[in-house]
Amino acid sequence: MIRYALVRGALLIAGLLVSSVLIFLTLRVFPGDVAQLIAGTQASPAEVEALRESLGLNQPLFAQYTDWIGGIFRGDLGTSLLSGASVSEELFLKAQVTVPLGIMSLLIAVLIAVPFGILAAILRGRRGGTALSVGAQALAAVPVVWAGMMLIVVFSVWLGWLPPQGFPRTGWSTPGKAIESLLLPALTIGIVEGAMLMRFVRSATLQAAGQDFVRTAAAKGLTRTRALIQHGIPAVGLSIITVLGLQVAGIIVGSVVIEQLFTLPGIGRMLVADVGTRDLIKVQSELLVLTGFVLVVGFLVDLLHRAIDPRQREAA
Amino acid sequence: MFRRTRRLALISALAATAVILSACSGTPEPAATSTSAPDPDAILQVGLVLEPTNLDIRHTSGAAIEQILIDNIYEGLVTRTQENEIEGRLASDYKVSDDGLTYTFTLNDGITFHDGTALTSADVVASYETVRTDATVQGNAEFASVASITAPDATTVEIVLSEPNQNFLFALTGPAGLVFKTDDDATDLKTAENGTGPFTLTRWNKGSTITFARNDDYWGEKAGVAEVEFQYIPDFTAGVNAALAGDVQVLTAVDPNLASQLEADFTLTKGRTTDKATLAFNNKKAPLDDVRVREALRLAIDHDALIEAVGAGTTLYGPIPELDPGYEDLSDVISYDPEKAKELLAEAGQEDLELTLTIPSFYGTTVPKVLISDFNKVGVTLKVNSVEFPTWLEDVYTNHDYDLSFVLHVEPRDFGNFANPDYYFGYDNAEVQDLYSQAQAEVDPDKSAELLAKAARIVSEDHAADWLYNGETITAVSPTVSGFPEDSINSRINLADVTVSAEK
Repeated sequence: MIRYALVRGALLIAGLLVSSVLIFLTLRVFPGDVAQLIAGTQASPAEVEALRESLGLNQPLFAQYTDWIGGIFRGDLGTSLLSGASVSEELFLKAQVTVPLGIMSLLIAVLIAVPFGILAAILRGRRGGTALSVGAQALAAVPVVWAGMMLIVVFSVWLGWLPPQGFPRTGWSTPGKAIESLLLPALTIGIVEGAMLMRFVRSATLQAAGQDFVRTAAAKGLTRTRALIQHGIPAVGLSIITVLGLQVAGIIVGSVVIEQLFTLPGIGRMLVADVGTRDLIKVQSELLVLTGFVLVVGFLVDLLHRAIDPRQREAA
Repeated sequence: MFRRTRRLALISALAATAVILSACSGTPEPAATSTSAPDPDAILQVGLVLEPTNLDIRHTSGAAIEQILIDNIYEGLVTRTQENEIEGRLASDYKVSDDGLTYTFTLNDGITFHDGTALTSADVVASYETVRTDATVQGNAEFASVASITAPDATTVEIVLSEPNQNFLFALTGPAGLVFKTDDDATDLKTAENGTGPFTLTRWNKGSTITFARNDDYWGEKAGVAEVEFQYIPDFTAGVNAALAGDVQVLTAVDPNLASQLEADFTLTKGRTTDKATLAFNNKKAPLDDVRVREALRLAIDHDALIEAVGAGTTLYGPIPELDPGYEDLSDVISYDPEKAKELLAEAGQEDLELTLTIPSFYGTTVPKVLISDFNKVGVTLKVNSVEFPTWLEDVYTNHDYDLSFVLHVEPRDFGNFANPDYYFGYDNAEVQDLYSQAQAEVDPDKSAELLAKAARIVSEDHAADWLYNGETITAVSPTVSGFPEDSINSRINLADVTVSAEK
């Protein structure tokens, strides 16, 4: 187990390094730079050049890269070229919107997926089961933006229950309002992700139903449904953890779109704005933190899975 | 909505009572125009669209930063009014010598920085020396003709130019003219300030709000409100919603198509600006190096219909807007005449022309749509290339790689761009360049303006670009607010005289 963790950890670090190089290089492909943006359209080329130099933008790529990575090893995500503010401070501030949004989305996804997925498995072959499967298939195919707009139309425009956009300026000092403004966006991501997860829960449950220990239970006199609920479903829980880990990446991607749609001041919107202004150091660090987060979740899920499931340990 | 009406009724009733009472006591008060007296403890909330990228006005360009910081937080020796007239600010008085070379400023008494230190002429000299010598500081180019900056005594500053420069005083109304404390290492200008203005900066919540507080130690007349909160709402609809919900008392840059929603609760003002919605032609690139092609394109545009589609603005047929010196109505130069446009294109051998319009994405689709349809009528196919602003800066502005481009040029007095063959317009006319340098060197402002007008007419007759319209900015102001500026507010919002009346 320890050896596995070490190997897996080394892979994690290698993955982070590779992504840091990729992030760094891809961003250099963009036309336009932040020095010209700061100097404006009335500045002379000499003024822009002077600014570029003072921002360190005319250093060789390798020096720029090592400078950035070196800082990160010291725990410094750098400062924004434009605002001069610390990137980690702003990330922390914006995370107060994005992290609760992610958790709420995940909760909603699980609350939808698990009961309906199991129900769909139990009702397999019957009309209700087919309806659930088809519905999940359709919902999973819905683009997040469209789902968001539909929810706005229903809950904000028609019913007037929830605000269509924005986050209270008072932030979490008014928790009720903050949660209210996150509900619709979380529902949007949660429904779409939940539909995808539901299909997985259904097939995992069905697979479990075919396993020997469920059939044995049924043979002992339990009904097929009871055998499934008592013995099959606990076995399903394990594989759900793995899929949930993958789901985290989907939720991060979804939040970029959703924060834009609902004008939420979160990490996703900050990222889009910073790409727009070519604040490269900031975008680099933000992307690396997000990539790192997804990789670490994957790492933890793998370890957890191995720790819980005895069969995997034997296979290694 | 209901609550608002009832509150208004209550205010009117109170105001009426106040008028009656004052009549009883016999004081000769004029009838109140506002519903109630200004509340000195009031907080003014202003909704804006474009947030500054940082607060370091010395190194960052852009209207968003000048708009809120100049005059409110930082001050220069001189400033400009809403009509773009120059007037003294830190300087109680200024004199320009007859040869136009020596500028003498006398400072007002008792000016202090926000940290309490007194401002002296030495601070002015140090600030301006930095602008003159440091190329990364905004306005460095505008100080190119400055020969010396000296302080004969603690309240006098003398600036000597190497040659007369009609634009110099105006340059001092911008970031270049602001006065900072000498050797102030304690203040990081990107996030904090140490100005002399009637407000101090209290908080900047990036992506959301900037808050000012009244500077009670201000050397001049103190501001009318205790606090100002700028709320940055990039989405136009969200801005209107915030206004209707009562979150802001003033909403600037209202989308003309949404303005009607605010009519019931707000006073809408249409302010003049120096925004020139410029359709740039790449004068150096074929086929736009052919004046017939450029004229044909201008003839093909129905300017009145375009302004109607945009929703606000006035026609402008030359490079100088009404608020700048040298303005002249140039509507005789160009008309809407698609037939003539077709003839000109045929004459130039460009009957089947395809052009690309490169436009920064935040300007939306209204203007490109109108242009596509107008050009289509004269046989010109227009492709639209909508790009991020940094891409626009690199491709169009720096590399001059474009056919047509659209940008709102907001800077006042920027006619010089047409006298600069290296600017991205690529317009090179020796006569215009000559007239412009004469206008710069001319000491008499009226004569200088005449020369500019002459040069502007040539630029328009050469069809160096098309000026689609002169922008107007719509501001929604709550009835409780008075004194909010109307004109030029996309480059200056001077809040010193704004008051908010008590709502109860």
